[in-house]
Amino acid sequence: MPGSASQHSRVILAVDDSASMRQMVRFTLESAGYKVVQAVDGVEALDYAKQSAVDLVLTDVNMPRMDGITLVRELRGLSSYKFTPMLVLTTESGQDTKQRGKQAGATGWIVKPFSPEQLLSTIARVL
Amino acid sequence: MDLSHLAPPPRDSSADETMIAPIAWTPEQQIARMLLLCEAQMESALSESDVAVDELIKSFKGLIEAGQALGAQNDNTNLAQQLDTLRKQTAAAVVAFQFYDKLNQRLGHVRYSLSALAMFVCDREKAHERDQWRRLFSTLRRLYRTEEERQLFKLMVEGASAEEAREHIQQSTLTLRSTPTGEIEIF
Repeated sequence: MPGSASQHSRVILAVDDSASMRQMVRFTLESAGYKVVQAVDGVEALDYAKQSAVDLVLTDVNMPRMDGITLVRELRGLSSYKFTPMLVLTTESGQDTKQRGKQAGATGWIVKPFSPEQLLSTIARVL
Repeated sequence: MDLSHLAPPPRDSSADETMIAPIAWTPEQQIARMLLLCEAQMESALSESDVAVDELIKSFKGLIEAGQALGAQNDNTNLAQQLDTLRKQTAAAVVAFQFYDKLNQRLGHVRYSLSALAMFVCDREKAHERDQWRRLFSTLRRLYRTEEERQLFKLMVEGASAEEAREHIQQSTLTLRSTPTGEIEIF
């Protein structure tokens, strides 16, 4: 999965409390040329995003300390993240939760497990 | 391990009531039904991971064979084809690995259910009230977040037998083998 020249400058913040999921996401995105920074929950992700700019946020929903939907809502409240694509990557498939994510400001919803090809094409579409 | 994030989300609508099949009611039957539900959820989760392990074995076997084929070649005429095979096998392994994460999540829900049941039955007064049991089932319904968990919960709580649950799990596993990845929606 070769990355284009423009992808090499793109930074993606991947947020998940599962180490194996973070590895799969990192492996997939780095093989396409993206730079990946990781956070284990919403609190860590929010701290990072306040200090450094990222081009896209990819977050799980159910995490300790701060869930992914709260993270999206908090980030949307910051002027620097008003238009940043934020994708939710979760096992949650219920319409209620998806609707809450949409209302919080998520750009899209991906139900796990993801296929590398589909994840990359979705990211390319929203970036 | 902190299981607090596994707790069900707050109740948000009156449509949340769980229908319990109208059969003869005793607290012991409710305990038995709850335990059957936990057993079925675990069987379903383990069945899912069997699919993932099968896929991982196939993927790694394919990776090894593709690597050997690349090493045996004297020219690079088939190189692109071999690399494409490697790419497909790696993608399949990435999908399969994610079921391990899902397995952990589902077993975490079962653990939470069993803990909730244990605490509930210790309160004899509560355990003899039908309405309290309905509330417990409603709370646990909100715990389950994947489609498979929700379907299985509905089936068991509405009075399905262990045999019917097993049949449902077999059908779900067949579907999983043909469509292993989840849906994507852009808002």
